[in-house]
Amino acid sequence: MSKYLDLSIRELHELLVSGKIKPKDLVLEAFDKLENSDLNAFITVCKDEALKRAEELENADKSSMLYGIPIAIKDNINTKGIRTTCASHMLENFVPFEDAFVIDKVNEAGMIIVGKTNMDEFAMGSTSQTSYFGAPKNPWDKTRIAGGSSGGSASVVAGLLAPIALGSDTGGSIRQPASYCGIVGMKPTYGRISRRGLIAFGSSLDQIGPMTKNVYDNALVLNSLVGYDEFDLTSSNREAEDFTRLIGEDIKGMKIAVPNYFISDIVDSEIKENVLSVCELLKENGATVDFIDIKHLEHAVTLYQIIAMGEASSNLARFDGVRFGYSADSNSVDELYAKTRAEGFGSEVKRRIMVGSYLLSGDNAKEYYTKALQVRNSMKESFDEAFKKYDLIIGPTTTTVAYHLGEGMDDVRKTFLDDVLVIPVNMAGLPGLNIPIGFNHEHMPIGLHIIGNRFEEAKMYKLGSFIEKELNLDLKVKEENHE
Amino acid sequence: MEKLSKEEVLHVARLARIAVSEDEIEKYQISLKQLLDDVEKIKDINDISEDVLVTPAFEGCKLRSDDEVDTTDFSKFKSNIPHSVGDFIEVPVMINE
Amino acid sequence: MSNYKKTVGIEVHCELKTKTKMFSNTLNNYGAKENSQVNTIDLAYPGSLPLVNKGAINLALKAALILNCKINKLVCFDRKNYFYPDLPKGYQITQARHPIGVDGYVMINVGGIDKKVRIHDIHIEEDTAKSIHQTDKSYLDFNRSGVPLIEIVTEADMHTEEEAMAYLTKLRELFVYADISDCKMEEGSMRCDVNVSISKDDTLGVRTETKNIGSISSVGKAITAESIRQEEILENGGVIVEETRRFDEKDCKTILMRVKETGNDYRYFPEPNIPEFEITDDEINSVKSEIPKLPDELRSEYRTLGVNENNIKTLISNRELCSFFEKVKEFDPIITSNLITGDILSYLNKNNLSLKDIKLNEDNLKELVKKIKNSEISSKQVKTLLPILMEKGGNVEDIMKEHGMVQISDDSALQTIVDKVISTNPESVNDYKNGKDRALKYLMGQIMKESRGQANPVTVNKLLIETLNK
Repeated sequence: MSKYLDLSIRELHELLVSGKIKPKDLVLEAFDKLENSDLNAFITVCKDEALKRAEELENADKSSMLYGIPIAIKDNINTKGIRTTCASHMLENFVPFEDAFVIDKVNEAGMIIVGKTNMDEFAMGSTSQTSYFGAPKNPWDKTRIAGGSSGGSASVVAGLLAPIALGSDTGGSIRQPASYCGIVGMKPTYGRISRRGLIAFGSSLDQIGPMTKNVYDNALVLNSLVGYDEFDLTSSNREAEDFTRLIGEDIKGMKIAVPNYFISDIVDSEIKENVLSVCELLKENGATVDFIDIKHLEHAVTLYQIIAMGEASSNLARFDGVRFGYSADSNSVDELYAKTRAEGFGSEVKRRIMVGSYLLSGDNAKEYYTKALQVRNSMKESFDEAFKKYDLIIGPTTTTVAYHLGEGMDDVRKTFLDDVLVIPVNMAGLPGLNIPIGFNHEHMPIGLHIIGNRFEEAKMYKLGSFIEKELNLDLKVKEENHE
Repeated sequence: MEKLSKEEVLHVARLARIAVSEDEIEKYQISLKQLLDDVEKIKDINDISEDVLVTPAFEGCKLRSDDEVDTTDFSKFKSNIPHSVGDFIEVPVMINE
Repeated sequence: MSNYKKTVGIEVHCELKTKTKMFSNTLNNYGAKENSQVNTIDLAYPGSLPLVNKGAINLALKAALILNCKINKLVCFDRKNYFYPDLPKGYQITQARHPIGVDGYVMINVGGIDKKVRIHDIHIEEDTAKSIHQTDKSYLDFNRSGVPLIEIVTEADMHTEEEAMAYLTKLRELFVYADISDCKMEEGSMRCDVNVSISKDDTLGVRTETKNIGSISSVGKAITAESIRQEEILENGGVIVEETRRFDEKDCKTILMRVKETGNDYRYFPEPNIPEFEITDDEINSVKSEIPKLPDELRSEYRTLGVNENNIKTLISNRELCSFFEKVKEFDPIITSNLITGDILSYLNKNNLSLKDIKLNEDNLKELVKKIKNSEISSKQVKTLLPILMEKGGNVEDIMKEHGMVQISDDSALQTIVDKVISTNPESVNDYKNGKDRALKYLMGQIMKESRGQANPVTVNKLLIETLNK
């Protein structure tokens, strides 16, 4: 049973600052739970390091809101001295000697890393079933997927194994598992958080973000992760801001848009109903809700396939058995490459690299890749237009609730279609937030997707927090007693 | 079901430097074809901009001064290197191009 | 001999003379211990991202300006994807869409005729790692990985070996003078690939590319060898295949490396990790203002100053000497150039030294030139004094005093010597009076000898003539 880990960060902070509990108490509870968990949410746990850190923190400055709070890190983010596998045989034994930028931030804020979370191999997938280490499970129903690619992170937070997890999102990989697991997940504006130390999948799409139980916690964590990094040329140079600052403000007068495509027939009717009832709630509270069209939303999957697979085919070329990672026995360079990559990568990754390589070869680069970048620009411009008139755009995060493990594994396209509603945000570099808004008839969580204009995360948290308070859902998974 | 030819599969596998077994070729003939059919849709999209969007980072590019230096001791890399001799990284002999 | 016309285009890679690398912040340090100048970016570690070196951008911009290129102010990069162990990321970051400079030219002079070699483009990229090969293993050193390169691509504008060599010599001269690159072919900081085709008429033949030729003179030899090879094939009814070859210095022939892969398999696409950026007019002007006087301008200036062609050639070919000359030439360019390209250069060569190793400096060389010009020192004294200046330094006046090289300008002291020489050489005096000019020179020599080289020759000459005509 949870003693502390079901509490909010604010509640934990009060307990820690008052001295009623020590960081070590939280760490011990986290390990007690995760060691007995059958969610398969972690690839690597680091108990010794976490306990040592908890002790070190006892006499440290406690002013940070995140002081002493355990956090789980997606296993594609480099952690010094802790192996970072990307859920791949290729990096099964890879140990970085430098922390990612966000890990420095996590440490500066006084958080305690408890382990590295399971995910789709190299973040390629929507179910976390492509993991070399087996799929993590959905705490709401362990026969179901946690979503992906940040499935382990979502599972950790929903399963109350740690109050915070970091995920990464290339085409929905934070928001979609957050939706499936009934938690809050933010993919910030592209450039908000440095990507240095995040093992690249699609460089122009990737973004790290926080996954938490509630909106306020999420904003607090985001506060600690942002900041300019001169070693990531796409990192934003903006001044620091407090993302919690608008939380609690009245939503009266807010202008909300819902793209028609987001409530079209591709979306499960129960989910659609939930989203539309949220729209009613917003109107009742003085916001306006309009239904609009955004260009090319229906082409999101095609764009994603071309851009993400193209970039990935190039980003993953460095895994060649020469400088790090898995290396197959071989007598020639050609054999070294072909065997290392055949044996080191799983089938989803290989398929994407092959298709990506094909899309960039010869004249294809122009026909597919350049064209996709033009469509991408057009989509971005259409979003820009919408944000001239509206504060926020909302819709469902996913077209269905979390489905059963193993389902649809024979269709290589399904995994892309799962992310149809969340991909456009990555294409345009916008921030996107998932918040839980209800359950379907099987009591599986349903998520709302809130899209903001670039760098307007604070506004999204304001709306998200308002809805969260109004709905006042019971989002606690019934815990099993391990005693 | 439509398939890629065996040669087409071998061609993309070669581009990607990934060895494929006979069994795998058969699977890829179908699965790669499905994905390639998907991306084919890009050709039918109209009403697009002239300009490309390469990355949604719009704050320009801060260049680094030539005077900033940060070197890493090679010993730190060593435990991750599959094959090394002294401070050299070893690979099967490269056909000298 | 042959009725085929050769057509040559050249691609040159030059390593830029920066302190650090192109996309990482490790040192660009030739000759360092293997893998001692690396970090996670150079080894393409997972999670590493490129940085952009402003110094390298400026040097490339300078090169583009010198080659009279149109500048693409919008700077962006692309990935060129291919697999090779010396390419850690599996792609090279380069400029495929918008090279920093396009449509430039270089003027060359072959056999007294000026000719324009057009530059197609100049673009920025990064170098690969160095590899050492043994029988069954290769060994990689990533110090060179990421060193900034510029690639300069000409149009197929050259038709003879001489033109190709003149182009390369000119390019090297320009880059060395503008401090863009060392252009040391022996160290690989300048590398040439040569495209050669032959044809009997104005249509272009199928071209081959010969890679990585070791010296400018070898480029000439490689073009000869490759055009002869192509001619033999055509004369025997064969066809030329588009292929990549290398030049074998020993056998003086080109050898097949690989047949060109059909089409473009480099899978170019825009580098998403580097947002595009603009070079401003101010930045261009500031780089322009840093361009020093270049060899062509120096040559014509030196000609105007009366420096002889040999000295000009020697000065221009040695950049260090030339910039020293620039600093000291004002007082008398001719005397100065003679000293620098004569005694000074041979001293340096003999002792394997460069100017920075010796004590001669701007001040004492200028002082010396002044003394020579005013005939306050004899050429014999110069021969003694220069090595001392170079080895020990100091000022000319002091050294002359120290070594008893005082000039006798005092009329009465010199008159005594003149009188003595005249009285001991009556035959020469007679010869002089009979109109033999040679006699005067002989007497002058005797007087200088008598004064141990210390007599002021101008005064002596005046006194001697006066005395003889009395």
